[in-house]
Amino acid sequence: MAEPASAGQASTGQAGTGQAVAQPAISVRGLRKSFGSKEAVAGIDLDIGKGSLAGLVGPNGAGKTTSLSMMTGLLRPDRGTVLINGVSVWTDPAAAKATIGVVPAEVRLFDRLSGEELLEYAGRLHGLPAGEARQRAAQLLDVLDLKDDAKRLVADYSTGMRKKAALGCALIHNPRVLFLDEPLEGVDPVSADVIRRLLKRFADSGSTVLFSSHVMELVEQVCDHVSIIAAGRIVATGTMDEVRAGKTLQQAFIDLVGARGTGGEGLSWLGSSSS
Amino acid sequence: MARILVQLKLRLLLGALRATNATRVSFIVSSTVALMVAIGTFVGLAALRHNGGAVDLTAVIYTVFALGWLILPLVTFGLDATLDPATLALYPLRTRPLVIGLLAASATGAWPLANLIGELGITVGLAHGALAVLIAVIAALLQVAFCLTLARLVTTALAGLMRSRRGRDLAALAIIPIFVLYEVFAQVLPRAIGHHELTAASFAEVDSWLRWLPPGLAAHAVQDASTGHAGTAVLRLLLVAASIVALGWLWARALSHALVTADSSTQTASVKGGALPLGRSGGLTGTVAARSLAYQRRDPISMIYWGLTVVIMVVVSLSALRGNHPETGVLLCAGFGGAFTGLLRGDLFGMAGPAFYLDALVLSDRRALRSWFAGQNAAVAVIAIPLVLVVPLVVAIISGHPVNGLLAMALGLAATGAGLGVGDFFSSTLPYPAEQRAGSPIPRQVNGFAMQAVGARFGGLIATAILVIPVIVAIGATGSVADAVRIPALIAGGAIYGALLACAGIALGAGLAQGKVPELFQLAARSKL
Repeated sequence: MAEPASAGQASTGQAGTGQAVAQPAISVRGLRKSFGSKEAVAGIDLDIGKGSLAGLVGPNGAGKTTSLSMMTGLLRPDRGTVLINGVSVWTDPAAAKATIGVVPAEVRLFDRLSGEELLEYAGRLHGLPAGEARQRAAQLLDVLDLKDDAKRLVADYSTGMRKKAALGCALIHNPRVLFLDEPLEGVDPVSADVIRRLLKRFADSGSTVLFSSHVMELVEQVCDHVSIIAAGRIVATGTMDEVRAGKTLQQAFIDLVGARGTGGEGLSWLGSSSS
Repeated sequence: MARILVQLKLRLLLGALRATNATRVSFIVSSTVALMVAIGTFVGLAALRHNGGAVDLTAVIYTVFALGWLILPLVTFGLDATLDPATLALYPLRTRPLVIGLLAASATGAWPLANLIGELGITVGLAHGALAVLIAVIAALLQVAFCLTLARLVTTALAGLMRSRRGRDLAALAIIPIFVLYEVFAQVLPRAIGHHELTAASFAEVDSWLRWLPPGLAAHAVQDASTGHAGTAVLRLLLVAASIVALGWLWARALSHALVTADSSTQTASVKGGALPLGRSGGLTGTVAARSLAYQRRDPISMIYWGLTVVIMVVVSLSALRGNHPETGVLLCAGFGGAFTGLLRGDLFGMAGPAFYLDALVLSDRRALRSWFAGQNAAVAVIAIPLVLVVPLVVAIISGHPVNGLLAMALGLAATGAGLGVGDFFSSTLPYPAEQRAGSPIPRQVNGFAMQAVGARFGGLIATAILVIPVIVAIGATGSVADAVRIPALIAGGAIYGALLACAGIALGAGLAQGKVPELFQLAARSKL
């Protein structure tokens, strides 16, 4: 079960790289969403400072994707506000969305375009001139290690390549805030490293990254801020050290969310010693 | 091995009855249709008794069945798990028992049984005498074995390709010749027979070719036995059996190869060119049009829709081609072409699918939505307009009344504008997520959205029909005016009217979608294309 003391201890933390932040890059207040009788997000408050690389971790079905969808204007919340650099996503969507990039969890893209066409399309959608969009697309494909596959249809890309192409689409207009939902899910270690380094570099330039994951090692490695979500509620948020409280993030997470299930005691037949 | 695979096939078939309501209904419908095909074919073949062209017609029917077995498994690849050798590659199986087992599994089910029952119709229609009946039974059995082996060979040989994106795209396009065959049987043949343009004797020429193929050999063997040429009959059946053995040998080789060959689905070619079209036009409209234009030629669904539109245009213009109603047929051709262009694209958000998130991030106001609709319309119009101008004109020239083709241009342009406008309107008012299911390359609505899909299609058809009435009236009312004046005026009027309707559709669609983009995205995200 969650430990209220631990959650409370860290919950006031406003994310950032340690410096005082006047206006958070992402500010969420009282965000709620229900699907029928199931409350997927039960009122979350979150502040992520500019230049932060923040992680949103939680078990499957905790409300990570629903929360990120509401923060990016792709799912209308029942209640609550989301501000991106002070601009409301839900009352001034044009201004707010112009400054964000999004990589959804399930990257299903316009797969009848080639990789370079897809990135050019994303750039032109955001108002870049075609020439500029093509130039940026080529540079991003190079950095994302997709240069050799630039002319292949996205339909023929592997999951990792699609994730990288989606990241390219999200970055091409140079957003100030980047949202990624499970960016390394199904991605091979080499591609994961490419994505990790690119996110680091992006955040180091002063831009903000918020990504969801249930891979604790990854969040622990790259994030300076972490929020733990369970059953639609933020149970802990703050800097990495605040949330970990001297433990590993994995242990802190299990302590807060609670371990589930048994160790497979009923499976006495399983394993080579039983045959 | 044969027993295990037959049991597996039976369990899969019975499993469909115990699964969801949808699979249960699908199983019952499929079995009922198979029964109807069995009875219909048997009765049809039996009715040829005493018909002069019986053997020619039987050869044609047998060949059509073989063609069906050749094409349908490619379209329905994925429906029958035993068709794909990759599903068996993990098991330690030898090729010979596997071939026999898979053939036995192929022969299990409602459709192979329906095939056999139906084709046994030759025992009544073509066979005269006890020996001929015996030959007919063997011929029907060999014909079914030939169909099954042929289907297995093709699916196994192409299994690697079918698992690849390119192979699935090509297989999806097979729906167009199937649709053509359907139209020929449902529309063309009954009318031709009704007008006495098609008699049994018409098939004699076709049969002169088909009689040398295995299905034709089987039919002619029965004819030979009935006319006292038992030796020739047996020789023909031996040739059919030899062709089955040859196909079986090729299939065994293909199967051995497929079981140990790596999946080549990721080895794909690159696209030509390096950039999206319309780079200079800029703006959101040009950008969306560029993407949509690329999709028109690369997306199999779009290509199927264009193929179906052309088939429908040709079918409705048959009355003109036969010279019965030259003006009506050509007008129908143009009108249906324009209407179906819009109708088949009346769910823009659902058809964009989950990738719509990229667009949704920039569609924050009515102006942006207008550009989005306009871009999609422009890309479709680039193909639709030449189509509705050229096809009716060609039909009119063939039917000997080229002026009708020029008149039809007015209706074609108006119908295209109306179709696109109505499509935009219904895209916003009755959006629904679409999905492609195994066995059908044409997407359909996700369960629970039948009302929206039916409403959008029928609403679209009725609205388009009503909207083009003024143009039809204008064509009729100006009959007494000189063609030199009438035709340019009607074409210009049709083009302007069509453009106005398309613009109205864009404005309405954008207005209705404004403020609903997150909800439209949530619907689009449920599409599986």
